[in-house]
Amino acid sequence: MLQKVKDITRSILAEKQADGVLGLIRGQWNIIQPHVFDNLRQVDNLVLEPKWLLAKMAMTVLRSSPEGYRLAVIARGCDERALTELVKRNQMEKDRLLTIGIACSKEQAEICLCQRPYPEKLDAGEPVAGVDPFADETTRDLLVGDSRARMEKWARLLKRCIKCYGCRNSCPICVCIPCKLEDEVWVETGVIPAEMISYHLIRAFHLSDTCVACGACQEACPVHIPLVALQRSMREALRQVYGYEAGLDTEMRSPILYDLFKKPAAGQILPDWINSLENDNES
Amino acid sequence: MTGPGRSNNRRTEEQATPRMLVFACKWCGLIGADGAGKKRIPLPASFRVIPVECAALVEPDAVIRALASGISGVAVLGCHLGGCRFNHANHAALKRLELLKTLLDATGIGGKRLLLAFGTAHEDHQYAEVIHAFFAELKTLPSTDPWMY
Amino acid sequence: MNPEFIKTICPYCGTGCGLIVKVENGRIVGTYPDREHPVSRGTLCIKGWFAHEFVHHPDRLKTPLVRIGNRFEAISWDEAIPLAAEKLKATAETYGGDAVGGLCSAKCTNEENYLFQKLIRMAFKTNNVDHCARLCHAPTAAGMAQTTGSGAMTNSISDLAGADCILIIGSNAAESHPIIMGEIYKAVDKGATVIVVDPRKTAVAQNAAMHLSINPGTDIPLLAGMMRHILDAGLHDAAFIRERMEGFEELKNFLQAWTVERAAGECGIGGDTIRNVAEVYAKAKEAAIVYCMGITQHACGTANVHAVCDLAMLCGKIGRDFSGVYPLRGQNNVQGSCDMGGLPNVYPGYQGVSDPAAQEKFQQAWERDLSDKPGLTLTEMIGGAGKEIRALYIMAENPALSDPDVNHVLESLAKLDFLIVQDIFLTETAKFAHLVLPAACFAEKTGTYTNTERRFQLLRQAIEPPGEAKGDFEILCLLANGLGIDFPYIHPREVMEEIASLVPAYGGVRFDRLERAGLQWPCPDTYHSGTRFLHEHKFTRGKGLFVTPQYTPPFEKPDEAYPYYLNTGRMFAHYHTGTMTRRSPFLNRELEEPYAEIHPEDAQRAGIREGDRIRITSRRGSIVTAARISERVAKGSIFAPFHFTEARANILTNPVLDPISKIPEFKVCAVKVEKEPYENQGR
Repeated sequence: MLQKVKDITRSILAEKQADGVLGLIRGQWNIIQPHVFDNLRQVDNLVLEPKWLLAKMAMTVLRSSPEGYRLAVIARGCDERALTELVKRNQMEKDRLLTIGIACSKEQAEICLCQRPYPEKLDAGEPVAGVDPFADETTRDLLVGDSRARMEKWARLLKRCIKCYGCRNSCPICVCIPCKLEDEVWVETGVIPAEMISYHLIRAFHLSDTCVACGACQEACPVHIPLVALQRSMREALRQVYGYEAGLDTEMRSPILYDLFKKPAAGQILPDWINSLENDNES
Repeated sequence: MTGPGRSNNRRTEEQATPRMLVFACKWCGLIGADGAGKKRIPLPASFRVIPVECAALVEPDAVIRALASGISGVAVLGCHLGGCRFNHANHAALKRLELLKTLLDATGIGGKRLLLAFGTAHEDHQYAEVIHAFFAELKTLPSTDPWMY
Repeated sequence: MNPEFIKTICPYCGTGCGLIVKVENGRIVGTYPDREHPVSRGTLCIKGWFAHEFVHHPDRLKTPLVRIGNRFEAISWDEAIPLAAEKLKATAETYGGDAVGGLCSAKCTNEENYLFQKLIRMAFKTNNVDHCARLCHAPTAAGMAQTTGSGAMTNSISDLAGADCILIIGSNAAESHPIIMGEIYKAVDKGATVIVVDPRKTAVAQNAAMHLSINPGTDIPLLAGMMRHILDAGLHDAAFIRERMEGFEELKNFLQAWTVERAAGECGIGGDTIRNVAEVYAKAKEAAIVYCMGITQHACGTANVHAVCDLAMLCGKIGRDFSGVYPLRGQNNVQGSCDMGGLPNVYPGYQGVSDPAAQEKFQQAWERDLSDKPGLTLTEMIGGAGKEIRALYIMAENPALSDPDVNHVLESLAKLDFLIVQDIFLTETAKFAHLVLPAACFAEKTGTYTNTERRFQLLRQAIEPPGEAKGDFEILCLLANGLGIDFPYIHPREVMEEIASLVPAYGGVRFDRLERAGLQWPCPDTYHSGTRFLHEHKFTRGKGLFVTPQYTPPFEKPDEAYPYYLNTGRMFAHYHTGTMTRRSPFLNRELEEPYAEIHPEDAQRAGIREGDRIRITSRRGSIVTAARISERVAKGSIFAPFHFTEARANILTNPVLDPISKIPEFKVCAVKVEKEPYENQGR
């Protein structure tokens, strides 16, 4: 797979399909870091591991580069979906962007609880089957069951927040300027933990229909808050009611913004085989 | 001035009676509320009404902010679906807020703390009923104490 | 032009997280976390995420400045270096070498600190070199050197995740060392018990299983009470004490006087709580003690450190994976600047200046006569400014904000014949300087930093310094040549080789070995892969020593006139004197103005409401700041962060010193609080 990605990268650079290829480089003394490849010699040192999300870097690279500059990105499934979502939201131009899709390994998919560990445009690697996040014990503990107990569980986790803004900064889709999380009207400034309800739920809800569940926020969280779990039920609701999944399609618009009265409202939907939340609340 | 301390004093508030916030659409909900007042329909005391131009102008963030400030429940009152002054704006509100309920459920706060109701200007009795029912429901919900620090 | 991503190290706290800076056209435009970094593993705190913001700030110093009357005038390096050399030389000739002092910096690299102390020691034959470790972990260096032989964190940061019990004393790691806090939470997720000892209900305390809100400055009674109970209950590690310790009888005798009840009385908590905590700590399989400024910044700071070490050694919870004593160093390179001999009593590698063998070794290596008299400490140098100290060379330090009793510091600085300040911004201290030299910040130089877990890490140059500013390394070489000393270095790697040849513990440290993940000292030779934890089979000093901690209550206790305790500390978005963070728009937005926390009941009594402007007065001065009413502080206490130049909390603090380590008592002083009259409320 690595060889194939290198070949594709070389051909992209040789044929001038793109001016640079964003990927990971293994430098001297085994240092791995993101790098924009622009000559063929460097491509020998290209690597694919570890999982390192590049979508946000790709966006900033494209933003600060001159018009006509084209960038190729070595993208995993989540990277590709994030890029699609950014294109859809006019954060970058579609024709300046190229992806080299690589499939994730089974182990990686299990770590991320990824439902789609492969990009739509797959160039290298064998796609593996997705993982059902709701089958995972920790996720279920947080999302299903007695609401009082879950409230305490979440409170205990979110109380750790040190307000590093890492979840926001690392998120490929969080691009608004200004950001509500910086505004003292919405989130109190100058204290930690960050206000538990307003900071985290405002952030989570802003991403309700754009989150691609890449896990960048969770990986950037110094205090290990399971932030992706916060998005799971909303993603699931959108998927079941509208068949909408963020980042899959460049054309399909978010169902909570478009076709407003054609479809029903989504709410409180989780897989059938789980005791529904409705019942738990009544008990 | 920065806003320090807003959260620190919350717990001193009496938690026994749930506090409610009502966002009422100027065209229906608010007139209904007005009517209920004129007709002297008895209503619980611990709630405030914020008039809005349309239910769709109630950002989900505002609902979250209200819950974060120690409000036990938020009601959003709009016109009947299809009867919105601004085309299908209240459909937008409905879809957004229903999705927010999913998030509130996921975190255990409970989607039941958010009420969406639709009515017309002259349905003041119905308005009072909605408020009473919501108030009764909020009383049964566990407090959000773990979320306050 | 494609952007470049360059790996470097965060310039803020001692955790030493990995940063990747994005460079475009010679400017840093963004910061990303380094996923491959052994400490931070792809995470950063708020300061790290916005570490690039101050780099291109318009306030950066770009040319050397010389004082003419009351203003500064730009001069060239060709004038500045001879001026500095001439003035320092003249001072040394007139008043003797001991009239010159130097403050090196915990913000600069190891190589720069090494050169700095070498310069001062060689050129002026004095040992007047010190830096801000005096104000934070000097007691750790002194106290742990006595008990274990090595004044550094015994284990690695990642070891915290494996502990079963973590006792956090006087550290608000969630705000000051957030990434280390992450490791503690990892342990919590695995079922560890976290016990926090802090007068304030800090963010750490809010997340802990137990919080002991003791009276300020009563750490020794608490620890003595715990040890007494451990001894009484027979929970101590007798085999460990027999084989590896000495001084046990003295400790036992000392503990005779400390019944749990007496300790509980001093601390203001229940005796059962002390027993409970002692049992949780002693019974845990792997137990760690994390401590920070709450232990050290007392007039009995060194004794506090002794007590902490005694507790760990009494239970044998030291010298293996996970268990150990974790002093969290505050500055990015405070460990390194101590290691490099930036202290008045030791050469690099803690080789004592009064030790004839060490003196001989360095005299031979440097080919100069060196003084065998320990120099003055930072607090003594500032105190003696204008008297025994006539000229001071300050590299990247800001005593005008960071030292206790600031009003006195300012008077002292004004008395100096000649003050050189080398910094990246015109700090409060630099405003007193006769000569200001513009230096380079973390992204503009190459070198090494040593983080709190003794890890040498490589700092890589990403951009060029602004204007005519030069790296501290280059400035030191120029100045040395001006003073007639030959510093033939071209690259910092040559300095590191010289250090390695002089200090056995760093013998294997070379720049190219640091590229991937750094090296934790001791690393005696180039085949050694570094040491994850110290004191494995034997303590650095041979046998561990129980030192009996002598309890001195805080110097100032609240009384009629000054009824409140004042506690100073950090908050999460700002860093020390705010030179960098307050110039970073994002961080400054988080908190723009100074505040002081006061308990609701005290506030009610004084008629203070949220946001009111209040005047806090101690015996040394007063400041005006905004009130923040909060239950985080205990009744009868005030907390004020010290980052703010407009309300310098250190105007209030008490400059009484610890007798051994000379650290001032920052954490406790007595103050009174008044609401400002209406016309000063600024409404």
